[in-house]
Amino acid sequence: MDRQQPQTGMYYICGSANCRARNELKQRDAIKCTACGYRIMYKERTRRMVQFQAR
Amino acid sequence: MATHTINRDTSIPAEQSRTLQDVTRPHVDAFNFMIKTGLDLAVADLDPKIITDRDGHKLTVWIDQAKVGYPRVPDNEARRNPAVFPTECRERASTYKSDLHVTLKWKVDDGPVNQTERKLGQIPIMVKSQRCNLRDLSPTELVANQEEAEEMGGYFIINGIERIMRMLLLPRRNYVMALDRPSFRKRGPEYTTFGTMIRCTRLDQTSQTITVHFLQDGNCMVRFSYRKNEYLVPAVLILKALVTTTDQEIFERIVGSSKLDSFLTDRVELMLRSATDMHVHNSKQARVFLGERFRIALDVPEDMSDEDVGRLLLRKLMLIHLDNDQDKFDLLVFMIQKLYKVVSGDCCTENADSPMNHEILTSGQLYLMFLKEKMEEYLTACKAVVAQDLRRNPEQVSFSAGSQYFTKSLSKNPVDIGRRLEYLMATGNLASATGLDLQQVSGFTVVADKLNFLRYLSHFRCIHRGAFFAEMKTTTVRKLLPEAWGFVCPVHTPDGAPCGLLNHLAAKCLVVDEVADASRVPAMLIELGMAPIDHKIHYPSDYLNVLLDGRIIGKLAPENAAQITAHFRYRKAQGHKDLPRYMESALVLPSERGQFPGLFIFTSLCRMVRPVQNLIANTVEYIGSFEQVYMDIAVLEADIVPGVTTHHELSPTAMLSVNALMTPYSDHNQSPRNMYQCQMGKQTMGTPAHALQHRSDNKLYRVMNPQASLVRPQGYEDYKCDNYPSGTNAVIAFVSYTGYDMEDAMIINKGSYDRGFGYATIYKTQIVDLAKLKPGNRENSKPTLYFGTVRNQREVTEKQVEADGFPPLETVLKNGAPICSYVDETTNMAQVVKYKSSEEGYLHEIKLIAGEGSDQRAQRAIIRFRLRRNPVIGDKFASRHGQKGVCSQLWPSEGMPFCESGMVPDILFNPHGFPSRMTIGMWIETMAGKSAALHGVVHDASPFVFNEKSRAVDYFGEQLAKAGYNYYGSERMYSGVTGKEFDAEIFMGVVYYQRLRHMVLDKYQVRTTGPVHNLTHQPIKGRKRAGGIRFGEMERDSLLAHGTAFLLHDRLMNCSDYSYSYVCKACGSILSPMLEQATQISGKRNVKCRSCQSSKNVEIIAVPYVFRYLLSELLAMNIRVTLDVK
Repeated sequence: MDRQQPQTGMYYICGSANCRARNELKQRDAIKCTACGYRIMYKERTRRMVQFQAR
Repeated sequence: MATHTINRDTSIPAEQSRTLQDVTRPHVDAFNFMIKTGLDLAVADLDPKIITDRDGHKLTVWIDQAKVGYPRVPDNEARRNPAVFPTECRERASTYKSDLHVTLKWKVDDGPVNQTERKLGQIPIMVKSQRCNLRDLSPTELVANQEEAEEMGGYFIINGIERIMRMLLLPRRNYVMALDRPSFRKRGPEYTTFGTMIRCTRLDQTSQTITVHFLQDGNCMVRFSYRKNEYLVPAVLILKALVTTTDQEIFERIVGSSKLDSFLTDRVELMLRSATDMHVHNSKQARVFLGERFRIALDVPEDMSDEDVGRLLLRKLMLIHLDNDQDKFDLLVFMIQKLYKVVSGDCCTENADSPMNHEILTSGQLYLMFLKEKMEEYLTACKAVVAQDLRRNPEQVSFSAGSQYFTKSLSKNPVDIGRRLEYLMATGNLASATGLDLQQVSGFTVVADKLNFLRYLSHFRCIHRGAFFAEMKTTTVRKLLPEAWGFVCPVHTPDGAPCGLLNHLAAKCLVVDEVADASRVPAMLIELGMAPIDHKIHYPSDYLNVLLDGRIIGKLAPENAAQITAHFRYRKAQGHKDLPRYMESALVLPSERGQFPGLFIFTSLCRMVRPVQNLIANTVEYIGSFEQVYMDIAVLEADIVPGVTTHHELSPTAMLSVNALMTPYSDHNQSPRNMYQCQMGKQTMGTPAHALQHRSDNKLYRVMNPQASLVRPQGYEDYKCDNYPSGTNAVIAFVSYTGYDMEDAMIINKGSYDRGFGYATIYKTQIVDLAKLKPGNRENSKPTLYFGTVRNQREVTEKQVEADGFPPLETVLKNGAPICSYVDETTNMAQVVKYKSSEEGYLHEIKLIAGEGSDQRAQRAIIRFRLRRNPVIGDKFASRHGQKGVCSQLWPSEGMPFCESGMVPDILFNPHGFPSRMTIGMWIETMAGKSAALHGVVHDASPFVFNEKSRAVDYFGEQLAKAGYNYYGSERMYSGVTGKEFDAEIFMGVVYYQRLRHMVLDKYQVRTTGPVHNLTHQPIKGRKRAGGIRFGEMERDSLLAHGTAFLLHDRLMNCSDYSYSYVCKACGSILSPMLEQATQISGKRNVKCRSCQSSKNVEIIAVPYVFRYLLSELLAMNIRVTLDVK
């Protein structure tokens, strides 16, 4: 079985109002802020260029 | 005529606004009542359950205490702050709930009392109630917790959705109402339409309705229902069972001094005789008689005596608001007296639809009743487990001291009350064995839709008459009655099906939420001159009964009743410490065929009360809807009649609801227009919330460039509507131009559109739940799916999703684009969830949610999209005067008419919209808005400010003239097309325009070809499935009538189920020709008629496909249809 995973983690922001820690999450990681233990994570906004058609 | 500048202070206030908090007060305080006192009362009222084992030992089980905690995460979850805040539940689409613990106590015979604590699940908690973690936070702290600064609470969060328990109207508690209902006849052969009814309520808010029926022969029957079954008992039996008394005593109590009234005496005599027929002569016999018959229904322990069962019946079901049997007896006598008076025509029946006889079922009350019933069921279940063991393996059952039997049996009883309550909240369905004395089983909760602020507020002020009345054919229940003044808003009710059934509380109306101490009221009345009840004295029958919360406490001589009551009221208005603030006292004096007289005092919960100025005590007094009918209240200063008027309205707008208060100059509009505005105000796209990014609502509408309105009623300030603006101050010209503005269409300036007029966004949420996606999903099985990607996945190489399985934020999504990829651990295969909408959207936000319990992996992802919804032709707009219109053109700026100063209006409004609708308020707003814009101020637009003496036109005309404009607001204009000056002067000004949420993009439905129905091959219906719009019979008729055969054929054949079919000319059947097996050489297939056994006569014709289906159906019934094909 192909167990190899893309191991580059993505960054997620903790959803707790007074934490907002930046967590690196890999696939199958627990959704739990390392700083405060909160259970909601926001995906970080991409650093890729986003271009809209301005019409 | 206040004029002021806009408050530009944008800082977070130090304190929350009291007015706004009062909006949800009926909800929050009702819930707090439950937490504070109600729960203890309910637990105290639960009867212990008794079970006897084979050795004759008696086990008694009861609940001693119930406790509700604060929402927090389970103890095993390590977290910095274990408190759960509402925002977390909203975001992760979970329920805001906390533990319910009960202390269960039991004893064997009279042995020592054992106790254990049981958790009965997690029950939903109302936001901002006493058990909410937000309860005492300041606005700054609320904002820090991702809430609104002015958060009002009053709702529950169920699976991330905010839901409100609807307020329902119920009959006023503890008041005997005389009714004349045709349905009463259905109870039996002798029954008449007359009855007196009382809805009795215990302190824990559970209620029991009792009706005394009048029978044709003069007898009285008491009707009550228990566990959804109805029981009828002769009234005299109950009277006898209640107290030890004689027939003569009962006779004298009912008849009083009117012994010459032969109508009355005959009937009472007959009633008393009927008891003798049942061989019931004394009190004990009556109780035994009742006990024997109700033993099974009441489910009592076997060793209880019949007399005790009778007592239990009287205690649990008869006039339960009274504890004392003598009081119950007195009240039942009162009910019978009133019934006879009504039957003889001496006094009138009462209107059960009048707000005078209503009170409100609040959320806390229903919640508590339901909780109590479920706790009772829990106890019964505890007993049932033991009873089952006693039947199946009695050797295990042991009540002895050292035995752990009972504690073990409790674990066999996995009752989760929390789930039941959550179900009630989530669906609004009441799953109850007793029905809780309510008339409906569903529709108890609604979603608190955050479309805009007005809609949101209105949810909390809404009162429904009950689902039962919605199906009624008569419209009497829907009628607006004068008794509703000041309590129920006359304007704010929808038109259409729920009209008059779904009402809203007036803005200043309160629902009593304080438990009042009325214990010293009788003493006070006696001091003022009331004669106390004494069973040795027989007062003259014209003496008035004094009832305090449905208990007869004394008698008043009619001649000084008015004076005593006035004095009593004066003391209450002055705030006497012995008299509750929200007490209601109505003196009904005897009148010819009027309401049954008496002094009726109410101090109970759930009544509607409102503040008015007491002119005698010169204080603000709270009055109820019953007493208001017997009071003299002046609306305006000019209405005061010296010596008669006792009260004065605080404001002439006191009758209006929060929403109706928001219509500017509503007193100048034709009344239905104000009703329409109340609806449209609630459909406006606005600013739903400030904490938008912390919500996961399914759909949120948001207007991008809203403004504070320049012309605003006082309500805008009071309810802080500027925090949630919902419209634009648009320059508007009332002119018929281009012809694109016919029939309520309006033209929008393209230049204004380009500058952002009416721009809006929709936020949509999609929840991807891996637990539900899993094939062959079983609950509690270990999750095997996870968000992510596998190597060489196509979506990854094409850069559609990133390594975590989601596309980058802000990706433009078209139909079919992947929004999430997940991998099955067992197969290591990836699958994607696709974006399913033809409308282009942006990926706004992705939240990963940890699984429940021990599994902390992401099992749910909340994906939010952003849809651009800028105005297009066909979108709906409205001013605040019930003047809605559809955008018909985005007209280029250069083609628009312009005025002398070169100004081009944002909106062209067709003046033909005025003559029939008579919305003069909109004209005033136009002028006021114009002058406000010119002078840089904000104008007050409250109703009842201007009148014939000081006219609005003059007030704003002066200001316009001062700014150098035409006094009446009209201007000379030039055509944008020809450049020529218009002959007429055009009325032009500034009106606050709202964009309504109805948009063509959500509604348009068009198809040429598309999906068809499997069976008929006709187009399917439904916009969602790309179906068609039915071309029905009536449409067909009109085409027939016009003789347009080609069109008819096109609609019903070509565009529908056009099909070819073989037909056999010989036998005329289209079912019998069949394709034969292809011959191997040529591959050509032959069609042969099965019945003629030849292919000679087979031809092809065009028929509708359903026709073929019809013929098959007919064939199944042995009917053959022959087609005459030539």
